[in-house]
Amino acid sequence: MSFLRVENLTCRFGGIVALQDISFSMEKGEILGLMGANGAGKTTLLSLIAGNVAPSAGHILLEGERIDGRSPHRVNGLGVARTFQIVRPFAGMTVLGNVMIGALYGRGRTMSLRHARTQCLEILDEVGLADRRDLPAAALTLAGRKRLEVARALATQPRLLLLDEVLAGLNASEANDALDLIRRLRETRMLSIIIIEHVMKALMRLSHRILVLHDGKKIMDGEPAEVASDPRVIAAYLGEHAHV
Amino acid sequence: MKERALTIVSIIAALALFVGAPQIVNAYWLGVALQLLSGIALTQSWVAFSGLTGYVSLGHAVFYGAGAYVMALLWQSAALWEILVASGFTAAALALLIGYPALRVRGPYFVILTLGLSELCKYVVIAIEAALESSGRLLFDTPDPVFLYYIMLLLAVLATLLTWGLARSRWGAGLRAIREDETAASTVGVPVTFLKIMAFVLSAFIPGVVGAVWVLRTTFFEPMQLFSPTTSFTIVTMAVIGGSDGAPGPIFGAAFIVILSELLWARAPQFYLVLLGILLISFVLFIPRGIYGQLTALAQRRRA
Repeated sequence: MSFLRVENLTCRFGGIVALQDISFSMEKGEILGLMGANGAGKTTLLSLIAGNVAPSAGHILLEGERIDGRSPHRVNGLGVARTFQIVRPFAGMTVLGNVMIGALYGRGRTMSLRHARTQCLEILDEVGLADRRDLPAAALTLAGRKRLEVARALATQPRLLLLDEVLAGLNASEANDALDLIRRLRETRMLSIIIIEHVMKALMRLSHRILVLHDGKKIMDGEPAEVASDPRVIAAYLGEHAHV
Repeated sequence: MKERALTIVSIIAALALFVGAPQIVNAYWLGVALQLLSGIALTQSWVAFSGLTGYVSLGHAVFYGAGAYVMALLWQSAALWEILVASGFTAAALALLIGYPALRVRGPYFVILTLGLSELCKYVVIAIEAALESSGRLLFDTPDPVFLYYIMLLLAVLATLLTWGLARSRWGAGLRAIREDETAASTVGVPVTFLKIMAFVLSAFIPGVVGAVWVLRTTFFEPMQLFSPTTSFTIVTMAVIGGSDGAPGPIFGAAFIVILSELLWARAPQFYLVLLGILLISFVLFIPRGIYGQLTALAQRRRA
């Protein structure tokens, strides 16, 4: 049985079809890259998996259990955590306070504030925000806020982590740090990860497999090398006559 | 540590002052103290929901009025404490009924909806009373004002403890997360609808009991007056001026408004409401954290 199975997933917003008949599956511990131009439906796919948006048709199964159509907090309780492309920190709360919400209410929810605090200090240490823990989240730079998104998602103790452009807006060295962090997290926490990334080099290096979306449809999925040389992908990305 | 000791000493001093007040002051000032205590109790309960979640409710007059109505209906047919508890539970049940549909919308829609629902409740009670051919109910043999004063003191203390405890709890953290970003909160596992409705229900209980005590004090139930939206507006004003992110704010806000109204109400009644309006606007624009929030921010800046 696959860790995550997506079957014939379709999502319409009014007359617009954001995703059409998407099917794929992934194994435990796998890093799956999502690739596609703007508007291809990558973020929508994450929103569907995380429960932020209900699918118009199709199913999502996490270890055999249906998770589609459930509210986001229930999906999180089953072990799915996401970050937001446009970061959504709890701006008025401290960095530590932000992460504690994840620890208090996520899959690994603890009833004790003190316990949550200890857990979150470790996570902040891991993502490199420990020195800024008492700052209001609004005071963080964009790079800091992206880390905060990851920290808050981790605090819920997910099994499946959905990362939406966590590298965007970071400079080269910050992006490298973030890549190392993602790899390390996968290993130490046995995480399965779906990641959306526009920096192709990063996506190719990080992902075990890549799923390519175009105009809401799945073009293909496969290993990074296969994807990079696939004529359909090249056509979708560079236009039909790119080879000319 | 020094600050903490100072806080504890001032809390004990204030409590001692309130407990001893009936022996010290005359009936008039006892009435003012009662106003203050009811203001604290009402504003605390409002802050427990609206302050923490950011859902500004203009419906708290309903809970106050409903509690008063229960008292007016049941007075002398059951024991006092039984009716007080019934008043609280009636208000809480009403909150459950109102909260379920109302908490689906947020921002200005929620504000207008709670105001509308509270007006609806007012006219429903007026219609019921008209059908019963009652035009206001007089309550006879009501308890001694000093006794009512002590009940109100107890309510103010309970409401303060409630808000204080909630603001420091896991539940309170969840409510603040809802205030900051509801979508993000639900995505990291916060059961937003459940927490909101439960906090709304909890925050309705105290106003119900306060309304019941208040109608015993005035000995007259009249729906237009006890369901008046002015009650809601006053609560919001106290919370905004005092600070609405925890238990200390409402105490500052209630004290500020009650003292101000004492100073101005008799001497310059027209000017009082104008000044109140100006103050409310100024606080919203320049001191949105309220008196207490501003004081703590200043203290932190000095320390840094």
